[in-house]
Amino acid sequence: MKGFFSIGLVRGILGGTAGTGTGAGAVMLIRMAMGLPAWDEGQVWAAGIVAGVAGYLIALGLFNYWARWFVGARDRFEPNMPSRSWTRFLSVSTDHKTIGIQYLATALIFLPVAVALQLIARADLSKIGFSLNPETYTALISDHGIVMLFIVAIPAFAGLMNYFVPLLLGAKDMAFPRLNALSFWLVPAAGILMVTALGAGGFDTGWTIYPPLSVSYQPLGMNLVLIGAYLAGFSSILSAVNILTTVIKLRAPGMGIFRMPIFVWTAVSTTILSLLFTQFVSMALLFVLLERTLNMPFFGTAGGGQPLLYQYMFWFYSHPATYIFALPGLGIISEIIPVFARKPLFGYKAVALSSVGIAIGGTMVFGHHMFAAGIPALLRIPFMITTMLVAVPTGVKVFAWVATAWGGKLRMGSPLLFVLSAIVIFLIGGLTGVIQAVVPVNLYVHDTYWIVAHFHSVLFGGFLFPLMAGIYYWFPKMTGRRMSEGLGRAQWWLMTLGSALLILPMFVLGLDGLRRRTADYSNMDFRPLVIATAAGGFLIFLGLVVLFYNILRSRRKGAPAWDNPWEGRTLEWMTSSPPPYDNFPATPVVTGEPYDYGISSRPYADVTRSNPSKNR
Amino acid sequence: MDAYVSRDKTERGASRMGMIVFLASEVFLFGSLFFTYFYLKINTKPWPPEGVALDPKFAAINTGILLFGSLLVWAASRLVRRGRMAAVQAALFTASVLGFVFLGITGWEWRHESFRAWTNAYGSIFFTLTGFHALHVFGGAMLMLALAIRTRRGKYTFATHTGIEVGALYWHYVDFIWILVFTTLFFIR
Repeated sequence: MKGFFSIGLVRGILGGTAGTGTGAGAVMLIRMAMGLPAWDEGQVWAAGIVAGVAGYLIALGLFNYWARWFVGARDRFEPNMPSRSWTRFLSVSTDHKTIGIQYLATALIFLPVAVALQLIARADLSKIGFSLNPETYTALISDHGIVMLFIVAIPAFAGLMNYFVPLLLGAKDMAFPRLNALSFWLVPAAGILMVTALGAGGFDTGWTIYPPLSVSYQPLGMNLVLIGAYLAGFSSILSAVNILTTVIKLRAPGMGIFRMPIFVWTAVSTTILSLLFTQFVSMALLFVLLERTLNMPFFGTAGGGQPLLYQYMFWFYSHPATYIFALPGLGIISEIIPVFARKPLFGYKAVALSSVGIAIGGTMVFGHHMFAAGIPALLRIPFMITTMLVAVPTGVKVFAWVATAWGGKLRMGSPLLFVLSAIVIFLIGGLTGVIQAVVPVNLYVHDTYWIVAHFHSVLFGGFLFPLMAGIYYWFPKMTGRRMSEGLGRAQWWLMTLGSALLILPMFVLGLDGLRRRTADYSNMDFRPLVIATAAGGFLIFLGLVVLFYNILRSRRKGAPAWDNPWEGRTLEWMTSSPPPYDNFPATPVVTGEPYDYGISSRPYADVTRSNPSKNR
Repeated sequence: MDAYVSRDKTERGASRMGMIVFLASEVFLFGSLFFTYFYLKINTKPWPPEGVALDPKFAAINTGILLFGSLLVWAASRLVRRGRMAAVQAALFTASVLGFVFLGITGWEWRHESFRAWTNAYGSIFFTLTGFHALHVFGGAMLMLALAIRTRRGKYTFATHTGIEVGALYWHYVDFIWILVFTTLFFIR
């Protein structure tokens, strides 16, 4: 029994329950003291959930150290070696490798859930003998979108960045290991809130949560999603602080910024975006919550509010956010291609700086989401031009990848297969992005399946396929075993064909005028293509099943990977698999370039040298 | 926390950089609030709406209180280098008390405002902006209290006092934001 309570998650759930009761009770008491009826669904639940999350974090023990710091207590000495049992992932750990796997596992658990939500909606839309009511349909697709973005895309890459940024930099851990744990543990809470929202009436605003629909006519589920998204945003800000500080301060000796691997460059660009712009979306979501619970009219015109204000604040974050989802993926592609082509990365500096260029450019284009929303006509042209300009640094990357692969002896391992699919699909997404940036085209395709097809191809090419490539590439490092190549290929076939089947018909549907987020259509000519997209989604789901089987199987039975199965040059391959608690036997000293493949006389770094300054 | 973080895993210079990075994010937090304020302002006539009467008296007193607090914290970060720990402790403790006094005055002022958060959009952004700032003052006052306690318990010396430097950075930031809030609400309007 004692062992059961030593699992952090168990204590967290108990603490969360206690906190919810306390918070809800406190609000009811305050309301009674003010002479109001004790029960108000919105207020009581909102306070209960916020207090519940606080209770969950406290019970997990995340604040123990800071509480002791506050009163100046002596640091407690605790055993150095984390447990090897899998239950360590259910408790708070400050080791960046454990946290990285916790993030990845959370994202991979919510990924099939979010796909399944959409598959139910697709089945309905295919008219194969069952039908949902429109509220359920829109609730499903809305939840699909928001869970995918906040609980799958951001945490999955946060996981890879957590695990590999310190390793690629030759650091022992992140700069703030305890803050790191706090940022992770917010994510499962946010995910559970967002999924349970479906049981609390759901919400049918779409993932963008636009007012005035979101501030009125929406059941309690809306509040759950708002609080969940706020928590996820908080987590991503904290983790951005951590990753940026790590990159600035904890690079190994000799690692100037132009010797950092590209994945680190993209991590920096991503985290700068999420560090700054998440504040805007969090505030917009908070405004919606305040308007819903306390009737504060930020957006309601009756009280002098402005509905369009929300869209500005939302897209001010959410456009850069599309690069937050994609940039680490582009980094993974840049890592993998040189390793499998056995050639130096073409144009290292251009690729590195193009990440920063995408980040800067990405902040200046948000208006293109609002061409149809009635923004001043004067703003449309500048936003159109900036949107097209973002394609330039992105094009630099694509060119560099192709030039790297050009003439190389490609080793067709499963990581490379996923990367090649990613490039093609990302290219489709990127080029259609330029097309729809043109204002007249945009007004025509706005809110149709064309847009859905565009951002799914960007996210498949920038997020999903690079994530799969990253998992296949780094799984040997994380577990010490290789994944099955045959299953990897099977998954690659399923997912590549599935993506083509899912995305391409949607472009046609959009141009033919089928609008997104509609639960029904009367023109039966649409039906074959709608069924094709549903089938594509199903193939992707099957691909995920293969992935999970491959992970679970290879973790125990995979062939031993040794230290460097792909013959990579970057630092993570210079330590054992999985790396020891302090990552490297000795502090690495970087002496060369990261991607000089084929030039054996120029090693990247030396990890064997015993370092004189031990207290680095 | 159950896991152990070995001493040499954390880097001293990192905490200062971490605070600077964090404050960059905080600038955008208040940026989003100011954006909202000015967006509502240019789209609403008249602004502030009728029925909003603002008295800058208490806010002016509050400005003085915060500036004095900032001065004390600056003094503390200078004195600590000379090892005058008793003075450091007194300065930090007073700064913390001043923070709580600021919160008391703010609360009193809120009670006597001629409008409420749900009256109109002006009220919503007014209370959200001052509320977020007050939340930051609360955090800062608690931080100063912690630093005072830790100084008293001998955690800082003339050579190792990263905590005080980093805390001072935060406190100055909160003051700086208050100047912007004060000018915006009472003078630019």
